[in-house]
Amino acid sequence: MSDKIGVYVCECGPNIADKVDIKKILAEISALNEPPEKIIIAKKHKLLCSKEGQDFLADEITKNELTHLVIAACSPRDHDITFMNVCKRTDLNPYLYKLVNIREHCAWIIPDKDEATEKAIQYIRAGISRVTYQAPLTEKELDSIPDVLVIGAGIAGIEASLSLAGENRKVYLVEKTSSIGGKVTKFEKILPHQGTDLDIIQEKIQAVQENENIEIFTETEVEKAIGFFGNFEITLKNIHNDEQKNEFKVGAIVVATGFNLFNPGKIPRYGYGKMEDIYTSMEIEESNFKTGKILLKSGNPPKSAALIHCVGREEKGYCSRVCCNYMFKIAQYLKEKIPTIKITEFYQDLCLPNKADQKFFVDTKNKGVDFIRFKDIAVKQKEKEKFIEYTKIDGKKEKISAEMIILAPAIEPADGSKGMAELLNISLDETGFFQEAHQKLNPVATSIDGVFIVGSAQNPKNIPDSMMDAQAVAGKILTQLIPGEKLIPEVIISEISEAFCTGCQTCLSVCSYGAIYFDEDKNISIVNEAICRGCGNCVASCPSGAAHSKHFTSLQIYQEVLEAIR
Amino acid sequence: MNNSDILIIGAGVAGIEASLLLADTGKKVYLVEKTSLTGGNVIKYEDVFSNMECSTCMIAPKQQEVLQSENIELLTLSTVEKVQGEIGDFTVTINKKARYVSLVDCIGCGMCYDPCPVSLKNEFEQNLSEKKAIYVPCPGSLPNVPAINPKHCLQLNGKKTCNACVEACAFGAINLSDKDEKIEIKVGAIIVASGFDIVDPAGFPQFGYGKYPNVYTAMEAERLYASNGPTEGEITLRKGDAPPKSIAIIQCVGREQQGYCSSVCCMYSLKLAHYLKHKLPEAKIHNFHSDWCMPGKYYQKFHHDVKEEGVDFIYSPVDKIKVDGNDKGLSIEYYNGKNEKEKLSADMVILSLAMMQGKDTASLSKLLGIEQDKKGFFMNQGIQLGAVDTSKPGIFLAGCAEGPKDIQGSITQAEAVVGKVMSYLS
Amino acid sequence: MKEQFTPKIVGFLCNWCSYAGADLAGAAKLEIMPSITVIRVMCSSRIDPNLVLTTLLLGADGILIAGCHPGDCHYDKGNYYARRRFALLKKVIETLKIDPERLQLSWVSASEGKRYAEVVNQFTEKIKKLGPNPIQNTPYL
Repeated sequence: MSDKIGVYVCECGPNIADKVDIKKILAEISALNEPPEKIIIAKKHKLLCSKEGQDFLADEITKNELTHLVIAACSPRDHDITFMNVCKRTDLNPYLYKLVNIREHCAWIIPDKDEATEKAIQYIRAGISRVTYQAPLTEKELDSIPDVLVIGAGIAGIEASLSLAGENRKVYLVEKTSSIGGKVTKFEKILPHQGTDLDIIQEKIQAVQENENIEIFTETEVEKAIGFFGNFEITLKNIHNDEQKNEFKVGAIVVATGFNLFNPGKIPRYGYGKMEDIYTSMEIEESNFKTGKILLKSGNPPKSAALIHCVGREEKGYCSRVCCNYMFKIAQYLKEKIPTIKITEFYQDLCLPNKADQKFFVDTKNKGVDFIRFKDIAVKQKEKEKFIEYTKIDGKKEKISAEMIILAPAIEPADGSKGMAELLNISLDETGFFQEAHQKLNPVATSIDGVFIVGSAQNPKNIPDSMMDAQAVAGKILTQLIPGEKLIPEVIISEISEAFCTGCQTCLSVCSYGAIYFDEDKNISIVNEAICRGCGNCVASCPSGAAHSKHFTSLQIYQEVLEAIR
Repeated sequence: MNNSDILIIGAGVAGIEASLLLADTGKKVYLVEKTSLTGGNVIKYEDVFSNMECSTCMIAPKQQEVLQSENIELLTLSTVEKVQGEIGDFTVTINKKARYVSLVDCIGCGMCYDPCPVSLKNEFEQNLSEKKAIYVPCPGSLPNVPAINPKHCLQLNGKKTCNACVEACAFGAINLSDKDEKIEIKVGAIIVASGFDIVDPAGFPQFGYGKYPNVYTAMEAERLYASNGPTEGEITLRKGDAPPKSIAIIQCVGREQQGYCSSVCCMYSLKLAHYLKHKLPEAKIHNFHSDWCMPGKYYQKFHHDVKEEGVDFIYSPVDKIKVDGNDKGLSIEYYNGKNEKEKLSADMVILSLAMMQGKDTASLSKLLGIEQDKKGFFMNQGIQLGAVDTSKPGIFLAGCAEGPKDIQGSITQAEAVVGKVMSYLS
Repeated sequence: MKEQFTPKIVGFLCNWCSYAGADLAGAAKLEIMPSITVIRVMCSSRIDPNLVLTTLLLGADGILIAGCHPGDCHYDKGNYYARRRFALLKKVIETLKIDPERLQLSWVSASEGKRYAEVVNQFTEKIKKLGPNPIQNTPYL
């Protein structure tokens, strides 16, 4: 069976035709003709990417029964897909073609026509050698399961469940505590200007419980999650009873495990845990929610309160985004319940990133709350009286007494995040929150396809933004995991030869996507075709040469190298 | 009637993200963009905060996907003129201006630029350089096909007979008889992703923009630094030859007047300081700030790193800052933390200006029958219905059209809109 | 008679950043010395040290590996691995009595057309000064 290679040089108008001697190129390429094993058909065309040019190519492929196609024209980044689609119109497999760049990398950068012609010939020869080493590749289709596992039944998890559940898509909502709703159920009020209404939250909690496409598991943890996008095998475990398990399959996993507050006891100068009537914001919210009152330990309402922002901000190295706003809310609670109370809020910077935040700050100030920007701050006690000692930004040191002190501690990732990350093979970033696939362009996905992160588990954020994350995940899953439709993974991926693999697992350790798994029985590494992105890192790392890339094999690249140094 | 085609207004990052997700499901997406290129504002930056990733590298693959997608019909130089109907059944009239260059025949070789005899200010480059009447806004624009400005083209505005570009084109891709078109489409849902604008620095005469040549806006500074920009990344000054030896970046310009914090300016001011320190290691760089708005896990570290690079952070309320100038340079008068008046000399001043609603927001909201909020942005209906809905069912918001946010926020919102659209249309 | 030495330089460029930067240089019609032959790979992490060594041993006068700037890799961290392999390769090349300066790793982003041209031209000049790859005269192969 001989190779019949069609080589078509595009004039690209004057862009290539004026800069290289196409006649000479065709002559030299035609001279490579070696019947019967290697037949070369070399022609030129005015503009191959045009409709007329594409029709011409399709015709040539069919008419000449070409086994391979080489196009010498512009950059593959411009028209690789164009010409692959031409191949798809014919019997020629689209991976048996090569687009050689003789425009951006040759005609346009080499002013001397002879030199440019030599270079073009060199590139085309390399393309011809390479293409004969290329193998036909086909797209695969994978069955997928549209159901979703949501871990954490806080507001983000609940919103995700409601946005995803449907007739053809079941949601498994897992929660480790005994009730659902998370932290938002402990607030008397939710910041009104950001559009959230407590009633709406309660409605959502009810809706998720009544939805027949959502199965809720409380007091449950995820024990195992094995697989890949479209096909995860999940095992759930009851936290009190190891034997009580649930197993099922899902196509995607959403991590909505929420947050904790930093323990201000770790910073002694705030006096938390040492002095009386120093509370965290969450403690105030919880007791307020239970009793409707904010009282000192003595049972009396405080005459004065100091609200301290940014507790732990420097130590943690990030701003928790929501505290300024909720501290204004707490100040307003206090003013409403105790109209004569004197409130001072201490802050380093005011973080007011939403459109309506600045007005909320001004409103709070207008209600008679004092705001002081501090450089340093500490809580001291003399006999029974507590003082806030602070340095203002003008350098002056002052102090003020306060009966009640409320701290806004930094927001941290929830307990068990490290274990969760290991379980799902996703990463935590430097701050301990789950790491998104891309800081700017892919905030709710992770490097593992099919595993998503939402809410404060990903980055401290408020309720509306947590719900937006949940809806974003719905956007991703509803468009990528469609019931009844097959998933088509990347074609140009890596493959590991069983015969040559020594089981060293170096490839596994370099893969950013967890696309390689180790088969304990055979003691070899195997590429998961559903996940591999085709970067080739594993190929370069393999000491035995067992890993190879499907469309960028070493032999193929070697052909190009040989031409380069001839 | 339940039409599942979608119209997306604006081909910035939010519009691009939404269009790609929806197109992948086989739905037809009309992506309408008023300028001649995709990428919105993000494409103007060299790098993005806080990972300082190359902006072009980051979104070029997505722009290419849009161009190559079978399901996305990209209509550039187009605006929405009329909207009728309701969710599932909208009829939209689009005003598509003539490009005069065929998107099919043009191969992007650029041979038509040199022969054109007309030069005009290039607004993409913040008027720091000029372009021809036949132009692409910047190198690497996608689609890589020029457009002709009919007001300035001699042939099109009737001032003179000129066929210079037509003659230079070897592919017959230029057609000066091209006409504006009105296109009517039917869609089931509309996503407004029309982005933002920056407040006009002329509204703050105390900073001397326009009066003193070396006072710049942040966007101008971005283009100066851009490797595909008007100076190929060299920080030059409008007056004076040498690169600046001392630079003042004034943050929070417009915050008080707009009544909100734009949430991204602190970060982009740090980015500018970082750019400039990198490009001009000997220069003294001063960031005048009040509150640092750097929410979330990544941003404070960048602030710390930039400080370590030797950038000087000066606390000063912005309403007390004034910029004066003379032959020797610029002088910034400000009040420090102790409320003492101080002066600082600088060769260059950069103003970090507040984000405001896009210029077309008022007219678009009337057209679409949706409301603007008190700050001028399109109003979202609040979390009760999700922060992507407008007052009209079937019309959604994504990105900075809804309010100031960073790229991560715009992408998240675009994806949330897609989720909503998929639910509504199924 | 002094012959003009025209070096043979092999350039491995990653698809997402450096190849795009090279395309931009082409679109700007910047003059780039013709010594370099560009080979496209998807990621700089695909570059097998074996391949680089083979290329050198076969007589390439210079090898340029170009990838995305650290932090910008389309495949997350691929370029960091390329950097590590490159560092090790430099040491190995020394043991072959070949000047490690013949191997260069450069970061070029998709918008850096001018930089790509500068990198290639400067590297070509450097290789010209170093002269032909001595391996061609070594019999032990």
